[in-house]
Amino acid sequence: MTALDSGNVTRPAASHSRTLNVVRLQFVNTQTFIWVPALVLGGAWVVTMLIYWILQGAGVDDVKIGGGSQAPLWYFLAVGIQAMTMTFPFSQAMSLTRREFYIGSLAAAGVSGLGMAVVFVLLGLLERATDGYGMNGYFAYLEWVWEAGPLAAGLTYFVLTMFFFIIGFWSATIFKRFGTARLVMVLLGIGLVLVGLAALVTRQQAWPDVWSWFIDTGSLGLTLWAVLVSALLAAGSYLTLRTMPA
Amino acid sequence: MNPVIEVRNLTKRYKDTLALDNVSFDIQKDTIYGFLGRNGAGKTTAMSILTAQNLPTSGQVRVFGENPYENARVLSRMCFVRESQKYPDDATPRHAFASARLFFPRWDQELADELIDEFQLPLKRTIKKLSRGQLSAVGVIIGLASRAEITFFDEPYLGLDAVARQIFYDRLLADYAEHPRTVLLSSHLIDEVSNLIERVLVIDAGRIIMDESTDDAREQATNVVGDAATIERALQGREVIHRESLGRVASITFLGRLDDAERAALTAAGLELAPVSLQQLIVRRTQQRTPHHDALAASDVTQEGVSR
Repeated sequence: MTALDSGNVTRPAASHSRTLNVVRLQFVNTQTFIWVPALVLGGAWVVTMLIYWILQGAGVDDVKIGGGSQAPLWYFLAVGIQAMTMTFPFSQAMSLTRREFYIGSLAAAGVSGLGMAVVFVLLGLLERATDGYGMNGYFAYLEWVWEAGPLAAGLTYFVLTMFFFIIGFWSATIFKRFGTARLVMVLLGIGLVLVGLAALVTRQQAWPDVWSWFIDTGSLGLTLWAVLVSALLAAGSYLTLRTMPA
Repeated sequence: MNPVIEVRNLTKRYKDTLALDNVSFDIQKDTIYGFLGRNGAGKTTAMSILTAQNLPTSGQVRVFGENPYENARVLSRMCFVRESQKYPDDATPRHAFASARLFFPRWDQELADELIDEFQLPLKRTIKKLSRGQLSAVGVIIGLASRAEITFFDEPYLGLDAVARQIFYDRLLADYAEHPRTVLLSSHLIDEVSNLIERVLVIDAGRIIMDESTDDAREQATNVVGDAATIERALQGREVIHRESLGRVASITFLGRLDDAERAALTAAGLELAPVSLQQLIVRRTQQRTPHHDALAASDVTQEGVSR
């Protein structure tokens, strides 16, 4: 009964304290924003370690890099979808404005993303210090990501978490507001634009330039581009959310 | 008169249906309203717009004198309990109440705890695994314990058994007496709530067809039982809204009141006067405006409004 019995609860008055309470609302159920991401991250880490250990036992001494650290990112896609489809209607029952709900939910995802980034950086530092757990195996310390230092690596991880959350939230807004057909059409449209760009690059035989742009831009630069895309999608979601029936 | 809600020329159009058709009404402070009407009449749409959960196509809504849309000052004083409320995935009733406590400034935890006991609500089961009645209990508890200045209950009793419904009615009345507030209760069990509600607001096909005190509504019609031929003679010229007969005995409901002399005459003629149930009155008045009601009633109801 701890959650119910615990004594003083702030009596909300101003809107900013209500927005802060949305963060608390999202964390009332610790499962979504704390335990499941922690479990996914921990699980991915354990599985990756086991694979490195088996490879090491089989005499593979090369640098081993796994993609396991991206597993929690995909979970945030689902969190973003749920925040829209389930928590939004509930937030309306709690008499929240859409603005309070949206900013509070982004902040809650931000808190989780920050936690993930800290764990990611700490693991990376550990891997760098121990040469990949003495197995030359890396989970968090991906050289390209760490080029600009631990802080930049942390920022990349944080931004990616938010990026996935926002994509999930954004696609769920399109789905709720305009239905499945429109969502599929939008996603198809984005796919076609990407294919069109790829065709253009191929025709111009510009792939080397593109790759060198990616390399020149670097992890940090790409992170900043991700910030821009996230901001655009976040703004788009908000505009749709503002007029969406609960 | 002290309205907390003012609705003017409110229209809500969905793709091919007109859910609210140029509706205007006021809701008075500290009054319990029965917000009644058939399925699809526009009740939920109206309540959604009043709580800014949905947007009107046109028209004006003022709650506490302000537009409720994106208005935390106004919204925090209201609570809307929906029949089909969604909760976050994996949320338990405990999570829902802990959240409600964060956002409703007048939340009463003691009252919530008592209600949890009375409804025998399992706190740790996830909400999606609750029975229909338990799900309704979660909403009812939030609606009562939040003590919002305006509380909307949209068919809050779905799946609740008679005992649980009585708990809800009793608790609502008791708490209302101590903490007066405005309540809009939408219900299909009209007679069950008729002793609870002070005013009736009846909506039919997107229009308000009744907006008056429950007592006034009841007095609008009278029911007479007795010999069919005698009644026919006595009620010449009255607007009959319902007629049932079994052999030579008829029960006839007509609009309007009787003065003492008429009353005495009817009694002398061996006819009995009976009160009209609110439910019956509203059903009849709603049927009058609905073209496709059942044939039995159709033959008897006066045709006023049917051709509409």
